[in-house]
Amino acid sequence: MIGYYISLAIRSLRGTPILSALMIAAIAVGVGASMTVLTLNYMMSQNALEHKDKVLYAVQLDSWDPNQAADTANEIPWQLTYPDAVALLRSDIPTRQVAMHRFGFTVNLDESDMRPFTANTRVTTRDFFSLFDVPFEYGGTWNKEADSAAVQSVVLSKETNEKLFGGENSIGKVVKLNGEPFTVVGVLKHWNPSPKIYDLNNNPFADAEELYIPFGLHRKYEIYSWGNTNGWTSSAPEGAEGYERFLLGEHVWIQFWVELDNAEQKEAYEQFLTGYIRQQKEQGRFERPLKFALSHPSEWLVLNEVLDNDNRVLGWASLAFLLVCVVNAVALLLAKFLRKAPEAGVRRALGASRNAIFTQHLIESSCIGVLGGLLGIVLALAGLTGIRALAMGQVDQIATMNWEMMLAAVGLAIFASILAGLYPAWRISRTNPSVYLKTQ
Amino acid sequence: MFELKPMLSALWRNKVSALLIALQLALTLAIVSNASAIVKDRMEQVARPTGMDVENIIAVAYMPIPTEYDMAGAVVADLDLLRSTPGVVDASVTNQIPLSGSGSAGTYFTEPNQEIGGENANYYQVDSHFINTLGLNLIEGRSFVPADEHVIGPNDQYHSKMAVVSKQFAEKLYPGESAIGKFFYSGANDNPVEIIGVVEQHLGAWPGWSRAGNVVFFPLLVTGNHKRYLIRTEPGQRDEVFKKVEDLLNNRDPQRVVQVETLSENVQRTYISDNIMIKVLSLVMALLTFIVALGIIGLTIFWINQRTKQIGIRRALGATRANISRYFLVENALIAGTGLGLGTAGALIINQLMVSEFSQPALTLPLLAVCAIVLLLVSVAAALMPAMRAANISPAMATRSV
Repeated sequence: MIGYYISLAIRSLRGTPILSALMIAAIAVGVGASMTVLTLNYMMSQNALEHKDKVLYAVQLDSWDPNQAADTANEIPWQLTYPDAVALLRSDIPTRQVAMHRFGFTVNLDESDMRPFTANTRVTTRDFFSLFDVPFEYGGTWNKEADSAAVQSVVLSKETNEKLFGGENSIGKVVKLNGEPFTVVGVLKHWNPSPKIYDLNNNPFADAEELYIPFGLHRKYEIYSWGNTNGWTSSAPEGAEGYERFLLGEHVWIQFWVELDNAEQKEAYEQFLTGYIRQQKEQGRFERPLKFALSHPSEWLVLNEVLDNDNRVLGWASLAFLLVCVVNAVALLLAKFLRKAPEAGVRRALGASRNAIFTQHLIESSCIGVLGGLLGIVLALAGLTGIRALAMGQVDQIATMNWEMMLAAVGLAIFASILAGLYPAWRISRTNPSVYLKTQ
Repeated sequence: MFELKPMLSALWRNKVSALLIALQLALTLAIVSNASAIVKDRMEQVARPTGMDVENIIAVAYMPIPTEYDMAGAVVADLDLLRSTPGVVDASVTNQIPLSGSGSAGTYFTEPNQEIGGENANYYQVDSHFINTLGLNLIEGRSFVPADEHVIGPNDQYHSKMAVVSKQFAEKLYPGESAIGKFFYSGANDNPVEIIGVVEQHLGAWPGWSRAGNVVFFPLLVTGNHKRYLIRTEPGQRDEVFKKVEDLLNNRDPQRVVQVETLSENVQRTYISDNIMIKVLSLVMALLTFIVALGIIGLTIFWINQRTKQIGIRRALGATRANISRYFLVENALIAGTGLGLGTAGALIINQLMVSEFSQPALTLPLLAVCAIVLLLVSVAAALMPAMRAANISPAMATRSV
């Protein structure tokens, strides 16, 4: 029966090409617009650490100005001071822990014609790779001592290794960073999470870093952050001058993550943090009420407003847009079905049940939905291309449609057209056959 | 005279269709008016005067390769070279590129040794050529001279003795009086900074910042492991100079990595999200209006087809063509009016949410009225073609069966 209804539906669509085209176009435009925006929003809310969401935590400590809370969503600075990060690293409670920030180096090789370039660099502790599940192609992370002593080791991204060494196993080779020799200890496989969940302060949709160097190098190279550095007072420990003054002062610029595998471990860590802050309070720091935060990756994405107000407004606008398209389709379907009422009247008189008439018309509107959905996918792909062009390459990774989103588009279109078809199909199935038989 | 009574009773029999049209128009008005409030707000944001000669400025960032590097010497030699290049008006060193989204800010007070109640401003560390290089309009006092400049290391504790500030910031510190010769202080110290000049307008590094336009310039060169230059060219010479800059700097000293961009590119990148909102919402508004118009055309045609016989009888009884067209237009206007009335309420409710939940701009009544009138015109225009066709139905139709 369904096959027969589909052939009836197609015949009916051919019978009224203009009205049918209008309906298909309305559904297609509605689906196209909503899928463009929903795809962007969906891709922006991706959590690359979903599988470890329960055990990972971003750490925040309230070391801020006693007179004024930090200007963040939970009123705690996003980042830590260097002394706090170093103190937390001494804890042996977390299974893994990472202190890090963004930086930049010039890169060149001895005896090479390659032009030097600047590379985005992550200055981090060795657990970075295991905590964030970063896959290695060759080698691995640096030794434990490099987290606190100046060891000139470097891990290269796959892309950087290709640029420098043509992709071969470069472990043990030397790369010049700011003119200083660094030994390659590891090369990554391709890794580029988007949004860049481990560092949401600096453009969450930027590419992952090109180089990774140990956390113990700060003093040797007087490393500052290539990211947000915020301070609320210029005071620093007695006697600290020059770079030490910056390093030990009240500036927040270090991002900190821990892995805590179970509730006991988490509780122990919370006690550790509470104890640490109390101890610092005795020394005159942490003048605000005792406050810290441990956020799971999924919570961290929300807290950092990766999906901002503009995205939400566009999301709602596109859904409202789809609603208008559905209402439009209801009106047009009603007109179309009522015009064919005599036909339905004949079928009823020949013994078709109300249900059969209803099903037949609902199938007809679903056909419109499928066609509208397919056209809608084309429009959404065009929309995403447009957004990529408008965003000047900043959203290339997220403005793409995967198979799930394409299926979702067809699903949305069918849902919209069935929704649109319900009332007109019901109305037509209720008509009294005798009225139409008379006028025939 | 408009046959309102029979019209209303005819509408009542077709109430679902009429209601659907009205509902579409109501939703459309609610969306379009809110979207246009956002678009208007963003367009005003983007169109704000920057105070600079954006079109003719080139921004350079570079990093030396060696860790030990004579930055102060390099800056002097580079700027001499750049300033003597044909087509270049002036060149200057800076800690940040205007409107690039990356820069520094501080809190400043009108009294020494304060901790609260300060005013935030975006600060620049520049040389005496800076104001001329950007093409800023100095409205009071003087610009820096070479004798004002200071060179310090990245970790030195040094406080500038003087500053040029933006008019907006001057008025925040000293409302209603001239700021020239007055002082401000940075936080818990008593180092006075004298205001020696005021520029009319400068948006600073972050145009989206709530305090954008609060700007302070210090005559200071902080050496460190990277530096930035700004170069202003003669009108029309920018692209010519742009091609040469990287080679000029690399030839003078190959021990570094140089990146060159036009200021226009920086500005464009800074306004990406505003531009996306403007373009996407404008497209949404246009498409919505179009779809609603198509819907009205489709439905009016259907109604007229349904009522061919009725129209024929009316024509036979002496109704003129104009009467028939007018009937459908008035009917359409009635439906549209109802829809737009509903839409006005909807628009205001949605705007409440937009303002409170998503911090979007408030919808003004004139803007709402303009949107409603435009939609009414679109609706009547959409009904016009079918209504004219209806007028062409001949009285003879009445005698034929459908």
